[in-house]
Amino acid sequence: MSDYILELKDVVKTFGGVRALNGVHFQLKKGEIHALMGENGAGKSTFIKVITGVHQPDSGTMLLEGERVTFRNTADSAKEGIAAIYQHVTSFPDLTVTENIFMGQEIKNKFGFYDWGAMRKRAKELIEPLSKEIDVNKPMGTLSVAAQQLVEIAKALSRDARILIMDEPTASLTRNECLQLYRIAKDLRDKGVSIIFITHRFEDMYELATRVTVFRDSTYVGTWDVDGITNQALVKAMVGRELTAMYPEKTAKIGDVVLEVDDISKEGYFKNVSFNVRRGEILALTGLVGAGRTEVCQNIYGIMTPDSGHIRLEGKEVRIKSPIEALKLGIGLLPENRQTEGLVNELPIYQNVSSATMNQFVKGGQLDVDAEMKNAIELCKKIQLKANDITAPPSSLSGGNQQKVVVAKMLSSEQKVLIMDEPTKGIDVGAKYSIYEIMNELACRGYAIIMVSSEMPEVLGVADRIVVMKGGRVTAEFTDVKNTTQEMILEASLKERSQSA
Amino acid sequence: MSKILRSRNTGLILVLIILLIAAKILTPGLFSTYMIINTLQNNAIYAILAVGEFVIILTGGIDISIASQLAFVGIICTKLSCDHPTVPGVVFFLLSIVLGALCGALNGFLVGYLHMVPMICTLGTMYIFRGLAFVVSGGEWWFAAKYTQSYRWWAIGKFLTIPMIIWWTVIIMVIVGIFLAYTSAGRRIYAIGTSRESSAVAGIKEPKVTFYAYIICGILAGLAGMLNTSNYAIGYYGMGEGFEMTAIAICVLGGTAITGGKGRMDGVAIGVVIMAVVNSFISMIPGMSVWQKTLQGGIIIIAVAINYFTERSAARQALRERGALI
Amino acid sequence: MPGSNYDRDLTVKEGFVLSKFLVKWEMILVYILLLINLILAVFRTNLYFQHGTIQSIINAGLDVSPMVLGMVFILLLGDIDVSVASQMILGGMITGLMMDHGVPWIIAVICGIIICMICGAFNGFCVAFLKMPAVITTISTSMLFRGIVEIVLGENSLKNFPKWYNKIGWFNVGPFPLSMILFLIMGLIFCFILHRTTFGRKVYIVGNNPICATYSGISVTKVKMQVFILMGFMAGIGSIFFIGRMGGGVSSSMGTGYEMTAIACAVLGGVSTNGGKGKMYGPIIATFIMAFLTYTLGLLGVDPNSKKIFTGVILILTILVSTINKQMIKDFKLRTMYHNNKNIEALHDRTNEQIKELKKQIKSGKGDASKLNAKIAELKKDCAEKSAKLWEDQKADEQRAKERYSTK
Repeated sequence: MSDYILELKDVVKTFGGVRALNGVHFQLKKGEIHALMGENGAGKSTFIKVITGVHQPDSGTMLLEGERVTFRNTADSAKEGIAAIYQHVTSFPDLTVTENIFMGQEIKNKFGFYDWGAMRKRAKELIEPLSKEIDVNKPMGTLSVAAQQLVEIAKALSRDARILIMDEPTASLTRNECLQLYRIAKDLRDKGVSIIFITHRFEDMYELATRVTVFRDSTYVGTWDVDGITNQALVKAMVGRELTAMYPEKTAKIGDVVLEVDDISKEGYFKNVSFNVRRGEILALTGLVGAGRTEVCQNIYGIMTPDSGHIRLEGKEVRIKSPIEALKLGIGLLPENRQTEGLVNELPIYQNVSSATMNQFVKGGQLDVDAEMKNAIELCKKIQLKANDITAPPSSLSGGNQQKVVVAKMLSSEQKVLIMDEPTKGIDVGAKYSIYEIMNELACRGYAIIMVSSEMPEVLGVADRIVVMKGGRVTAEFTDVKNTTQEMILEASLKERSQSA
Repeated sequence: MSKILRSRNTGLILVLIILLIAAKILTPGLFSTYMIINTLQNNAIYAILAVGEFVIILTGGIDISIASQLAFVGIICTKLSCDHPTVPGVVFFLLSIVLGALCGALNGFLVGYLHMVPMICTLGTMYIFRGLAFVVSGGEWWFAAKYTQSYRWWAIGKFLTIPMIIWWTVIIMVIVGIFLAYTSAGRRIYAIGTSRESSAVAGIKEPKVTFYAYIICGILAGLAGMLNTSNYAIGYYGMGEGFEMTAIAICVLGGTAITGGKGRMDGVAIGVVIMAVVNSFISMIPGMSVWQKTLQGGIIIIAVAINYFTERSAARQALRERGALI
Repeated sequence: MPGSNYDRDLTVKEGFVLSKFLVKWEMILVYILLLINLILAVFRTNLYFQHGTIQSIINAGLDVSPMVLGMVFILLLGDIDVSVASQMILGGMITGLMMDHGVPWIIAVICGIIICMICGAFNGFCVAFLKMPAVITTISTSMLFRGIVEIVLGENSLKNFPKWYNKIGWFNVGPFPLSMILFLIMGLIFCFILHRTTFGRKVYIVGNNPICATYSGISVTKVKMQVFILMGFMAGIGSIFFIGRMGGGVSSSMGTGYEMTAIACAVLGGVSTNGGKGKMYGPIIATFIMAFLTYTLGLLGVDPNSKKIFTGVILILTILVSTINKQMIKDFKLRTMYHNNKNIEALHDRTNEQIKELKKQIKSGKGDASKLNAKIAELKKDCAEKSAKLWEDQKADEQRAKERYSTK
């Protein structure tokens, strides 16, 4: 009998011609929280899908308590007490919380029909210890992401899970919600549940895990005790090289105020928001997810228009009703979600790059494709895009390179103000650095940059000035970034309304 | 969402009441028992088709071949019945279920297992079934004299003074309603309409569920075909043309989201009644028959527009509530 | 990587590749068209020598052609418009009514087209501004528009149309039908609009990702409105073609099913109904295929109603064929030959590669042929043995799994 509840050896999985997993190993002890780390595309998500039986491995063995098992589908793994909470919450938004919890293992009465009453009661019992605010009769789609995740946990618990897999559960949670999740995870561990915790954040790992396994480029790198490995060594294991400096040196000169946002409000999103940004300055707009930062940016960019307040560009008041007007005025936006807002995956890279500036290439009534391509190649070289050629579709690129395509799109026209909403979200460490470099260079060229970010080290490392929002209001502004600490920002982003100025 | 649905249903009932009052004023004879039964009888076919279409729309698909299936199955039953008058009607009733299931299985196979776009797939099968209906009929028309009493009983025979076709409609609605709300197979239809990705992760076999959904729809279309010929005692290859639009209209009117996953059987039932009232209006007021298409088209547009505005006002309400917290 | 001076060549290296060009969907359509003609030429040889037959085939099939062009744009947006036939009849009715009242033909025709454009604008308004699903909107507007024709015309029909209408449906310029010339000219213009202008590019972007389009400063509502109005315009032009073909008459029951033919042509031409995928050339060829197909079936003694079966089957088959690709064949092989076992598949792939390599050596004359042949045989045997063992293993695994889960 082995001491491992779950053991995977030499697992290989290919999709089409791509190896998503190339001989990976994994060992999970009973009652431990085991962190699984690696850059995006390292194969973590595929790995858990193999464990839960969504995918079948091409080769390799899986041992459950020392016994060889084959999962033909998720039902098989569920019977063995394996439950997973996936990265993108995989719920049914139109169905109620109750139904989401019991999907696939409904409680039926003796005639084989649903026993809605019993299910609701049981759902309440499961949810209660996790959160008192979730109404089990509400459709899943009306809950916040954090609440949805709690429902997923309740779902796992309803299946008497022995092994719980959490795929980046903290990625879209606020600090408070994270703490709550840590507490729940620890509770479960103490009850004997073994947890595989996939994460990007070191914070999660230090807080929870006893051991950590690292994947890189679909292969297994190693497993360490969390106490026995340094931060530096772990980064090296993940990236495959040492990062000397996480953030480039700032070289831009800060000039006059370019954009001034004065007391703007939008019902349901934010109230009385004011700040300004100067030439060559990188202004970080931070706070917790859902604080209204993205919406403020969307109001500046014309996706929505503010109900009240003024926006002044170089001293002149402007009313921006659509992104078309914003672009004309010289305001660009790098959207938060590159897949849905930034890219057209089916069209070649060059068409993506020029999609906002097509009119430049019109010659005699028609598009001059050669000029368009030439321009796109130039821009993509500047940002060191890694691609086959300029006609490849963005879907063939890695996350970081996709983000670069969106950046190139924003660079294709001259702008005064560039808003970057979570520019490094979900891209690997190496690509992050080059995005910072690009930001720095743009600032040198006189761009005023507003960066929305939730990652505090990034905010402190990149910004010249920091504005913190909480619950739709600005709660603090830090001009002296060198002497600002993560705690100060955190405090401001948790401040109650009565304390705000 | 359930709140909005409920408010939507109350809204629909209000519309219904207004329509009924108007009907009362315009055509005083409307509220006689005879008229009510007559109206329901004439609209039962739409109701049966709408229930089938409802199941498909819940999966996020659409089936525009149901009217052709109706004609195809109806013609086969009629032809066989007329050629073999001694065979009892129950045989054809069961035959229509089998044939309908086969038609549905073809659609279900193409959409579910071969991943064709429902609209285009059923566009193709719509042509096929209609063509087959013609081939089977050989262009022939059948009239009342040729139908046997035992065949016609299934629609116009009376039980407790109410024609059988109305009983079938009610039975179908109740069975499908319970199936959708209280069985795991029914809930899976909602599940795949809501989110295909989540369904895959939850171990729901989407192709299989889609396949069976189309079979259910096919069965109902087949039944409607048999009952249609039985009810009106007329059969020809072009019958039922445009019925699929009415069925879709009823579903949309009843608050079914065309994107799938949202909608309830009670809404569909109200949709049926409203459509029935409108249709009887048209048939009773002289000179109105040419208005039928225009009115039906207008009703769908208005219904969808109302869906849109209720959803938007709900969203605005939610914003206002959230705004109060800032 | 940061700091490194690495420059990547992003220029397009791959030029024109004949083998790829030949298996393009448009080329396959051309083959189908040629095949149909070949069959016709073999079985009805005299057709090709009889004066005017081919022209009349083309003439007969092209009355729907203007609407195909418009429909491509609609489908590229990811929308659909099933009200086009009703728009066409409504437009025709307006023209006819005005002609009846002695309005000069030019004004009457323009008014007919404008009415169609208004219909398109109404669809566009519902879809773009009210965000209603296009299927439902156009299904109901098709009833609405045709209903209006029914109210106005009742059982009557209009007979008074400009004389030149008939020429479009029946006249030949030299050896070429007038309708074909007009269709090809329009086709060229539409190719230009779709593939060479910013408007066409915008249609692609909106069709693929409307949210991204908004963020890129493209007004989604405006593009959708424009496309639906363009569709209306083409329905108006279609009414000229249609009435010309019908010999100058309009009644309320005419032209049902034309919207489906237009959609079928576009889809057959490789335009995806999900939006964003497809080119203009395919549908143009597909329109001719449809024309020849309908005629061929007619020649073979198939009556118009049974023809529907063929139209349906062709529609479904072409879509299925277009979705078959290498991956599907590989999956099929995996499922049937390799017992769904990827290890066996990998083993076979590897062995095949090695055998290929050895065969190349034999061909080039390097090494001892008999020795190499023996090696190939050995490889094959080895592969068969190993896969048998893997299959055994898998069966045992599955057996175990079954036992395990049947008890729980």
